[in-house]
Amino acid sequence: MTQTQTPPGAVTFDSSEPSATRRVVTSTAFMIAIVVTVLILLFGVLSPNGVFLSAGNFRNLALDSAQLILLAVGMTFLVGAGELDLSIGANVILSSVVAAKVITFVGGTPEEILAGDYSNAATAILLGFLAAVVTGVLFGIVNAALVNMLRVSSFIVTLAMMSAGSGIAYIVTGGINVSSLPREMQKGFGSADLFGIIPIPAVIAVVIGLVAWFAMTKLRFGVHTLGMGSSLRAAERAGINIRRQRVKLFVIMGGIAGLVGFIDISRFLTTNIQGHQGDALAAIAAVVIGGTSLFGGRASILGSMIAAIIPAILINGLVIMRVGSFYQLVVTGVILLIAVGIDQRRRAQSK
Amino acid sequence: MAEAPIIELTNIVKSFGPVSVLKGVNLRAYPGKVTALVGDNGAGKSTLIKGLAGVQPYDSGEVRFAGEAVHLHSPREASRLGIEVVYQDLALCDNLDIVQNMFLGREELGFGTFDEGLMEREAAETLRQLSVRTVSSVRQKVSSLSGGQRQTVAIARSVLKKAKVVVLDEPTAALGVAQTEQVLELVGRLAEQGVAVILISHNLADVFAVADYISVLYLGQMVASVKAEDTNRDDIVGYITGSKTYNGVQA
Repeated sequence: MTQTQTPPGAVTFDSSEPSATRRVVTSTAFMIAIVVTVLILLFGVLSPNGVFLSAGNFRNLALDSAQLILLAVGMTFLVGAGELDLSIGANVILSSVVAAKVITFVGGTPEEILAGDYSNAATAILLGFLAAVVTGVLFGIVNAALVNMLRVSSFIVTLAMMSAGSGIAYIVTGGINVSSLPREMQKGFGSADLFGIIPIPAVIAVVIGLVAWFAMTKLRFGVHTLGMGSSLRAAERAGINIRRQRVKLFVIMGGIAGLVGFIDISRFLTTNIQGHQGDALAAIAAVVIGGTSLFGGRASILGSMIAAIIPAILINGLVIMRVGSFYQLVVTGVILLIAVGIDQRRRAQSK
Repeated sequence: MAEAPIIELTNIVKSFGPVSVLKGVNLRAYPGKVTALVGDNGAGKSTLIKGLAGVQPYDSGEVRFAGEAVHLHSPREASRLGIEVVYQDLALCDNLDIVQNMFLGREELGFGTFDEGLMEREAAETLRQLSVRTVSSVRQKVSSLSGGQRQTVAIARSVLKKAKVVVLDEPTAALGVAQTEQVLELVGRLAEQGVAVILISHNLADVFAVADYISVLYLGQMVASVKAEDTNRDDIVGYITGSKTYNGVQA
């Protein structure tokens, strides 16, 4: 800082944060990135013929983690704002069910659909995509409206909505998955690659993640979100419309859940109403491992994105090593505990 | 009286259901002066202030701002006029830094994204004008600040956008001796800059240290408005507890 223009006795302020390198190196996102790198190298060494490190396997990893990355990005905003959404798994299911119903309804005659041969595939898929996102957004709006109107914590509201949402999905389908969806959506989207190697869902996840990172760090939206998570009262007194902010946050989460629902049916060409039970908790785990405070006020989009890759790496690596993939759940739990423990200790020291 | 009051409340009435809290209260605050508002718990201080902040509009009565009749029906309206309230529980966001807290809800943008440089300069300039020496970096997180420093940031936030009237609700209640001293100095400097300061306090030592005028609320009525130099501690205690009646001219 230059002292030339400062009159004697005047006070100067340091506007500098810790140096950029120091901030990056001490950030949780960076530490999680190291953990991820170590895991990749470990499985690379341990896997037969280093098959884990092949380009094809990286493609699988990217594809398998795309959905969790997306959900974790949306969840980062909510957790950063001191909110939670436990209903995203139900939202994913319901959105995919509505999309699948729209696609089969628009796509062609029952015989064509049974054969997986849609006469009207393009329109059907497009409408299905819109239906998924709209359903997801509406789901989010209902969540936010209930939190705002009932003045109940989002934990309780979304717990209830988790039950109600999957119940509706069961009612709509009669408990039978909608299958035989058009193969075009798999070839053209769900399992399609950019430049022949990068899965489209992963590209979408990264693009949305970067947009979210920008919004979190450079726009009012981000700092208002963190302000809300840090002190609801302070944010309110500062003139932030916290009810509207809450609606925006749940709409983003809901829209992302709808998108994930569409990606899901595009990959597997069937709905999965029995699945996605663990989606919400997996996303919250990734968010917390990535350095976002579960109590709000502090959030890292990049940390969440990196942490969301861990389950896919573990499943994939353990399968390649012929160890049961169920161990993945145990290891993810252990990583969650270690990450939170280290984080707490660092925070206690810095005070 | 040389100067005209910037804010003048006349015959303010506010009741909650059958309970009437303010029964025709008058209050004036002058630019560059500190007006202390004292009174026992339940006297109506908070209600009077919430009306001024636009949080709980008054039922009736006249509010004049710089001579003009105004209606304070929302916090936004109050802050548009330049009336800012620093609440007792501060309302800062611990996880955000000083600049983010000072600009929360009114961030400076350039091309749609934050103009961090401008915000840092304005924050530092405001703190400098208040001769704040105790914070080293405007990028410090509020969680790392002491009680006095937090109070400083909250006050600086209130004057950032050229406030004309700043209401301080018990600014020294939670502070130690040295920090109280700092905050009282800050209150004085705020007034030196031409801001009309309304100071709510239970601590009469603080009140007599900085106030130019003292207004005493007793059971929803303004029982005395006097120049600090024309009165003393015993009289004020008497007015607060209702054991003494003020007979002089309301200043």
